[in-house]
Amino acid sequence: MIEMLSYPFMQRAFVAGLMIAVLASLSGSFIVLRRYSLLSETLAHVSLVGVSVGLLVGLSPLWMAVATSLAAAWLIEYLRSSRGLYSDSILAIFLSGSLALAIVIISLSGSFNASLFSYLFGSILSVSNDDLITMGIFGSLSMALLILFFKELYFIAFDEEVARTSGLRVTLLNFMLVSIIAVIIALSIRIVGTLLIGALMVIPPVAAIRFGMGFFKTTLLSIVIALISVVIGLSVSFFFSLPSGAAIVLCLLGIFIVALVLN
Amino acid sequence: MKFAPSLFDVRNLSFTRQDNEILKSVSFTIPPGEYCAIIGPNGGGKTTLVRLLLGLEKPSSGTIHLFGTPQSKFSEWNRIGYVPQRSVLVDAAFPATVREVVAMGRYALRGLFGFESSEDKEAIEEAMELMGVSDLSNRLIGHLSGGQRQRVMIARALSSRPEVLIVDEPNTGVDIESQHRFYELLRHLNRSKSVSILFITHDIGVIAEDIHRVLFVNQTLLVSQNPHEMIRCDEMSRLYGNPSHVVCHNH
Repeated sequence: MIEMLSYPFMQRAFVAGLMIAVLASLSGSFIVLRRYSLLSETLAHVSLVGVSVGLLVGLSPLWMAVATSLAAAWLIEYLRSSRGLYSDSILAIFLSGSLALAIVIISLSGSFNASLFSYLFGSILSVSNDDLITMGIFGSLSMALLILFFKELYFIAFDEEVARTSGLRVTLLNFMLVSIIAVIIALSIRIVGTLLIGALMVIPPVAAIRFGMGFFKTTLLSIVIALISVVIGLSVSFFFSLPSGAAIVLCLLGIFIVALVLN
Repeated sequence: MKFAPSLFDVRNLSFTRQDNEILKSVSFTIPPGEYCAIIGPNGGGKTTLVRLLLGLEKPSSGTIHLFGTPQSKFSEWNRIGYVPQRSVLVDAAFPATVREVVAMGRYALRGLFGFESSEDKEAIEEAMELMGVSDLSNRLIGHLSGGQRQRVMIARALSSRPEVLIVDEPNTGVDIESQHRFYELLRHLNRSKSVSILFITHDIGVIAEDIHRVLFVNQTLLVSQNPHEMIRCDEMSRLYGNPSHVVCHNH
């Protein structure tokens, strides 16, 4: 364990992974309770479009993922809240549409290679110092907003209509939440990968809910589950040379099964 | 001499959805302290009227004043408590304790950094005490009976210390005994706590002795300040239209 942490790339992977674990599980609690879990999966696929455009034109794939993910999050929330479309239908359209677009762009750029593989499934080798700085800035901002508006987002998850009549600015807060989720997903692709980040957002809160506690305790337990999974997943990834995203998600699944059996 | 403004002052309110005129030129005023029932047939526009009052729908035409302020400029939403239809149908697994749910009623008052003040704590405890749910404080809302959930939802609405409580047919999934306790609570709130009540109901006979005013909504509006006259069986049959089945009973 000590030897593993002596490598700079593992130190970076752990810093990034632990940051993502807290952010993903905290924001994931709100979308799970709103029956909106597919949002994370959809935005992850959309961010793949950003990655592929970045690889094609030579811009930072991480920044491009942030931009496309944000744009899609706003469009999805607009269509859901203002145009009266069913949210699961909108998500299904964006999910398959963005994946198709990403595949076409990747084919055109001829980038089916190891670099793309790391974006799809995560890699502990791929986190650079620049990535850490980007993650630190956006991650801190997202975390600050989630903590500041924690109670309002909880009220909206419980009863959006009554939250609105109590004077909360629900539309603005909804756009803020999807923006935060879009940013977190884009930041996560280095560690967990675009195809697996949805699990880090959804499984910890779902497993924590099984223990039948209030929201504050459920959220704390959800964060602990995500942190444990990231630590074990990254360690397994280091010792067995496995993609980090897959190792983290398998660990999450194990915890979820235990929670299901215990409760 | 200064007069308190009306709770609701509605003028020529109309609402159309997809070419379907749901409310047509509705006007009424509700003064403070009243217990007002909203009745009418299903699809007549009762819930739409309440949603318009709360700003959840935008009127096609007409004006709404809340506490003397145009609705578009109104910001003191804590003065209005709202218990919506089907509010008792909570997901059994939702991770929310009774206290957490009641505390939600204070969130809009707590500001950005939102720590619970002693006033918040006092208001939450008071609302839970009043609704008789203090002993359920740490129970999950999804694990309660329909009647208990109903009282929790009213406690949430009361925790902001509103001057008016709007209740929309909240008796779905609630047993008869809890319904009676619920009607007694509304009477107590109105008479002892001076909370005005706006209550959408189908069972007006049960609250006939308590109410000051009846709004009969069926696209247009008929206001009666003599509820006893309005709830006569023959009058109800006329209003609801024939053939209708009005069950008259003496509670």
